[in-house]
Amino acid sequence: MTTTESAQPVAASVRPPAGSRRTPAAHGERPLRLVVVTTVTVAILALVAWPIVAALLGSLHDWNPLNGTYRWVGTANYRRLFADPVFWTSSVNTVVFMAGAIIGRVVLGMALAYAVHSSLTRVRTLHRTLLYLPTVTPLVAVAYVWRLMYNPQFGAVNSILGLDVNWLYDSRFALPAVMVMTIWKDFGFGVILYLAGLYALPADVLEAAQVDGAGAWARFRRVIWPMLRPTTLFVVVTSMIGYLQAFVQVFVLTDGGPGDSTSLLPYLIYQQAFVKYNFGYASAAAFVLFVATAALTVLSFRAQRGPWRGKAQ
Amino acid sequence: MKTTRTLAAVLAAGVLMITACSSKPSGGDGVTDTTAAKGLPVAGATLKYDPNTLVNDGKPIHLDWWAWGNIPQIQAFADAYQKIHPNVDITVVNQPWDDYWTKLPLQLQGPKGPAIFNIHNSQHDNVIKYMAPYDIPVDQLAADYLNAKSHVIDGKIYYLDLGLMSGAIYYNKDMWAAAGLTDADIPATWDQFREVAKKLTVKDGAKLKQAGFNFNSSFSAFQAGMAYQLGQNMFAADGTTPTVDNPANRQVIQRFLQIYADGSGSKDFGTEATTSFGQGQTAMVYAWGWYEGTLRSQFPAIKFGVFRTPVPTAGATPYAYDRYNGESTVGINKNAPADQQAAAQDFLKFYLTDKADMKALDLSLGVFPAYKPLADDPEIKADPALQAYGDISRYIWPGTVPSTFEDNFTKMWQDILYNKVDPAKALTTAQQKIAADLAGKNFTSAEKLYPAYAPSN
Repeated sequence: MTTTESAQPVAASVRPPAGSRRTPAAHGERPLRLVVVTTVTVAILALVAWPIVAALLGSLHDWNPLNGTYRWVGTANYRRLFADPVFWTSSVNTVVFMAGAIIGRVVLGMALAYAVHSSLTRVRTLHRTLLYLPTVTPLVAVAYVWRLMYNPQFGAVNSILGLDVNWLYDSRFALPAVMVMTIWKDFGFGVILYLAGLYALPADVLEAAQVDGAGAWARFRRVIWPMLRPTTLFVVVTSMIGYLQAFVQVFVLTDGGPGDSTSLLPYLIYQQAFVKYNFGYASAAAFVLFVATAALTVLSFRAQRGPWRGKAQ
Repeated sequence: MKTTRTLAAVLAAGVLMITACSSKPSGGDGVTDTTAAKGLPVAGATLKYDPNTLVNDGKPIHLDWWAWGNIPQIQAFADAYQKIHPNVDITVVNQPWDDYWTKLPLQLQGPKGPAIFNIHNSQHDNVIKYMAPYDIPVDQLAADYLNAKSHVIDGKIYYLDLGLMSGAIYYNKDMWAAAGLTDADIPATWDQFREVAKKLTVKDGAKLKQAGFNFNSSFSAFQAGMAYQLGQNMFAADGTTPTVDNPANRQVIQRFLQIYADGSGSKDFGTEATTSFGQGQTAMVYAWGWYEGTLRSQFPAIKFGVFRTPVPTAGATPYAYDRYNGESTVGINKNAPADQQAAAQDFLKFYLTDKADMKALDLSLGVFPAYKPLADDPEIKADPALQAYGDISRYIWPGTVPSTFEDNFTKMWQDILYNKVDPAKALTTAQQKIAADLAGKNFTSAEKLYPAYAPSN
């Protein structure tokens, strides 16, 4: 409560009074602002808006830039896409992969962050560094190492677990295997964010809960977890956007197989564009993915304004 | 002042880097050739190359030559030509395969593309419109090169096969000897092959230690070719309708599954057959000619032999032993400046008649030479993989088959082995996917060019 009360007057003091936009200082900055705004607008139009429009236009054409084909086909690519069983398989795989990887990132990230936060101050930095190490390792390198680890004959995974499983070629295990590798690679990101969230928790609230007799689990469930919900939302939204675009791990580990059991939408797009040179079809799939990503992001932000935000505060 | 000097140094370094990275000027190394009569013999059989001429009037000229592999053999052509024509400066540019087919067509659309470039016939549609026809009469090429006439487009040739490649069985000689097998045991039929595979299998209890035969991840290589043995073409008589869902392909699947059912191999043993063979875990694999080069370069410790792919019936010549495909000769960029194109055309004649370097390239690629004067060469005849093909005329060329066949055969086999999909259903799905992918591609099979062609449904 103290924080909220003290923030109010500060915010009010820095906010310019109504009708003060045409102050001499602001007037002097106007050309600079104009340059900045124009530059940013042009950059956004060129680097963000135009590629999206180009993809939309391309999706309406039989398009192969390599041999110069660019023929209007209307919605044919979309009709073909929605009738393609591989597209639906890839879509389901993408959702399953995204959900699994996000849950892994959130659960593992929060658990380890809580453990690190509770550990001795002297070793905290070491723990933090070690846990973040996989995140900064290049994904391609990690994927190649995991491919060796998953090898049924001499891989470390079977040796350690004492199993005889063909992880990447058995469709029951292939997608989970890709997910596990991804979670291992990325959980450090969640740890860092949750650590930041834990450090930002008001100590007096936690102390008050302790004084009131709340145990460790009750403190976590009733105090810490609700206050970490904005962090969780951030982790979920950024993970969702990232995992909807996951490609490298599938490319290196499974090539979408066995069959299409690990084909994700970005892999389907790559195959159609750069292996089969169906750029129009690939653009249609990319545009659908873009719309899905945008819709999920908007929904997430709406959720932030709803119960998530309310409970967090 | 210090900042200015630092900025100036950075700018100068940047300019130097840009200069160093930019391509060579069209004048190349600036060497002028004044001697036309070099006293060198004219090369070639029907197609001749007379080196006693001046290229580009002896004035310096530079050519870029793009390739994706076998660079030492390609560089040898360039070096030999530059020795004759010192004014022609050829730079061989190595572009990895993964980037090659997106970079090359885009580069060829502008004026700065390479004058010469290697091509692969699977990329025909993406490059043909940027290629200049060979300035050589078709009859001359057809007289010296196998299969040349199948490459004629509107009376002209833009590229042809430099060598022909197909599949064969590679076996580990040490494992062969350890199993008590001799040359007399080389199987001629698939039934004999199954028995040999059993003998080459080593187990530790129920656990497979050495596979007699392994075909994991090499499904796409044999499926279409083995159906030819049973008289089944890849395309119906119209040349455009794919024929995949048929008894011949089902029989091929069953035959290979039986070998795994025997216990001679396993879907879970050695994730890639060719790697497993190279690592000394597998006794026999089916692979195309390229594998010979891979074994020599990546697995030199493996002592291997190669024999012709078995056939269904003893003593009977099949409809075709397998399908084959060609490694292609170079293309010439039609958007290159006229002087570069003229020099490239001269180089082309040299390249097509340079027996020594062509032989080295054929051997490194593991291809049977399309250049007829090399057919009886002792080194070619002694090469294990090329020996295994035997009579190359009993192999069939379906044309530059779109990759959808290989992609879908791979998925089909993965579904059968790892997703427990019934083979008949998997074949039906593959047929549907291939037909959908081919729709609108205007692909026509070249199967009818096979001398023993007989239509099938």
